Amino acid sequence: MSKFFRVMVYEYTRHVLRWRFLLGLLSIPLFIVVVLGISILSTELQTNNDPIGYVDLASVFADPVPLPAEEGLFTSSVDILPFSTENLARQALEGGQIQGYFVLSADYLTSTEVRLVAYDPPEERVQSRFSDFLRLNLLKNQPPQIVSRLTDGTVFAIQSADGSRRMVESDWFNLLVPFAVGLIFMMVVFTSGGYLMQAVVEEKENRTMEIIITSVSPGQLMAGKIIGNLGVGLTQLMFWMLFVVVIVLFGRGRVDWLDRISVSADFLLLVAVIMLPTFVMIGSLMAAVGATVTEAREAQQISGLFSLPIAIPYWLTYQIMTNPNGPVAVGLSFFPLTAPVTLTMRAGFTQIPTAQLVLNVALLMACAVGALWMAARAFRMGMLSYGKKITLREILGRPRTSLKPREAVR
Amino acid sequence: MPAVELSHVSKSFGSLRAVDDVSFNVDRGEIFGLLGPNGAGKTTTIRILLDIFKPDHGQVAVLGGPMTEEKKNHIGYLPEERGLYQDIPVDRCLQYLATLKGLSLTEAQKRISEYLERFDLASYRRKKMKELSKGMQQKAQLISTLVHEPELVIVDEPFSALDPINTQMIKDLLREQRDRGVCIVMCTHQMHQVEELCDRLVLIDQGKAVLYGKLDEIRKQFSGQDILVKAQTTLPTLSGVARVAGQNGATRLSLAAGVTPQDVLRQLVQLNVPVEQFEIAVPTLDEIFIRVVQGEEEGQE
Repeated sequence: MSKFFRVMVYEYTRHVLRWRFLLGLLSIPLFIVVVLGISILSTELQTNNDPIGYVDLASVFADPVPLPAEEGLFTSSVDILPFSTENLARQALEGGQIQGYFVLSADYLTSTEVRLVAYDPPEERVQSRFSDFLRLNLLKNQPPQIVSRLTDGTVFAIQSADGSRRMVESDWFNLLVPFAVGLIFMMVVFTSGGYLMQAVVEEKENRTMEIIITSVSPGQLMAGKIIGNLGVGLTQLMFWMLFVVVIVLFGRGRVDWLDRISVSADFLLLVAVIMLPTFVMIGSLMAAVGATVTEAREAQQISGLFSLPIAIPYWLTYQIMTNPNGPVAVGLSFFPLTAPVTLTMRAGFTQIPTAQLVLNVALLMACAVGALWMAARAFRMGMLSYGKKITLREILGRPRTSLKPREAVR
Repeated sequence: MPAVELSHVSKSFGSLRAVDDVSFNVDRGEIFGLLGPNGAGKTTTIRILLDIFKPDHGQVAVLGGPMTEEKKNHIGYLPEERGLYQDIPVDRCLQYLATLKGLSLTEAQKRISEYLERFDLASYRRKKMKELSKGMQQKAQLISTLVHEPELVIVDEPFSALDPINTQMIKDLLREQRDRGVCIVMCTHQMHQVEELCDRLVLIDQGKAVLYGKLDEIRKQFSGQDILVKAQTTLPTLSGVARVAGQNGATRLSLAAGVTPQDVLRQLVQLNVPVEQFEIAVPTLDEIFIRVVQGEEEGQE
């Protein structure tokens, strides 16, 4: 087994086999389950599934067509009961058999007046269900196409000129996918980068560097650390993605908007192309910080300086959404730290010009290589400087020697 | 072929010349002392030897040639800056370090178990490293230095933090390694340990090798004209003796120029003095160290 592999396995298992990691891994799904559970419980407690009544003074519902039952994930259909007179309906309301009743006035067909009688206004879904029932029966003698056209209403769809992209109003949830993908990626990058930074700082704190570098080459050591810690982040990502997939599969057929979620292969490819150099760049910056400071706490404080810019596009969501090819969005795409999230968001709202995209990705890759170079330099200079900081100026300075005079340990 | 060969090695950090034209060889099957005051350049020399630093000038050969990744598996290093992973169990830490030296996990586990038994650490194997005392961590570090049966061992202050019993155990272990043919470079300030263990030494001061050779020869070189005499009666006045001083229950006689120890011995016999001890007063390594280092400093001034 190569030493690179041993370093990688060590770096991976030292995090993954800890209770702390397991708790962190389960915390987000658990949090979501708890929040969902509380929401469901709260909805269940507030939901009133008692029947709703109606009094048809306009004789619209002679021989009514029943509305098909709609079973949601957490709700069931409310029955609609006819009453011949308003007195009977009122008695039922007072007797607690119904939660309210609608009265269609005698001149309903000309006035469209409907009166609702209830102690507390019924939920919107109940009113909506009665509207559907009313519409269905008003149109019962029309051809099915007309019924369908009138009941479904207008569907607005926006389509790109080349027909490759189409957005329908009811698919609003798909707009959230780029946000969610960006957010998940940010979490993974920072988790992995954080572990990597911690691993480098710990080598310094534990003063193990001299032993390690007399056993394994710096290249193998850094590669093992980077891949091992990336593996930790990917494990988290895979677990959480699996959780999301399970939730979506469970919810499909039960929750309307889950059925309409779709993520294109192009989008996933773009995310991969953007995120790979981003990971290398952030991971390298984290490792460089780890190599230059003396304590893990200090490293975390410094890493905040480049963590914040990554989230800037979220603060400018409105500008990016309304004008995804405008100066703000394009400008942020050219700045390496804001590019990953900006590009992901733009890809959700527009067709990014190919030349621009190629340039952005090339810039990201160049920055990743530069960050790697800086990390390697910082690592080489910082690895034997126990208890001493290395400044950015020293890292970027002339490569006269691996240690400056003040760091030299004779 | 020597296990270590340094030839005219120099290394500077900016304007500071940390190592200045240092040369020495270390053979297999010997314990070699690398001595020097603080800041003399010992650690830099070791780091050059281990290829952590590249020399500005000179040649370094380790185990028959330049350092390679493969050779790292045959070198055991106990650095001055002690360090082990503090947050993991003792056995896991040692296994990881041993596997980085090319041992299989099974072999590493077997050897580490043996060493832990020998070093009285077996009951601590599941404890986190940070829960061990300084002395125990020192022993654990020595295990990681020796577990892969290296051909070259470099130990920097191997006796620090150890009690007399453990110090003796480490000495025995180092002798055992030497007898197996291992080349040992020992860097220490404890001169009595060097006198006890080392066959040869180099003394580095201000980056330069100021003494190099066999311990006995170096001591003879600095022995001068003093003799130690212990007698059952008070010593009479002897001709040719320039100065008389007490030393550990004996009398130290500094002889005048041109007078030999045989001249003094002859007088003692003629005067019928009951002599219990008569020997050439060889200076201790401490004395030689101080004399050389202070001499260097005076020379600089």
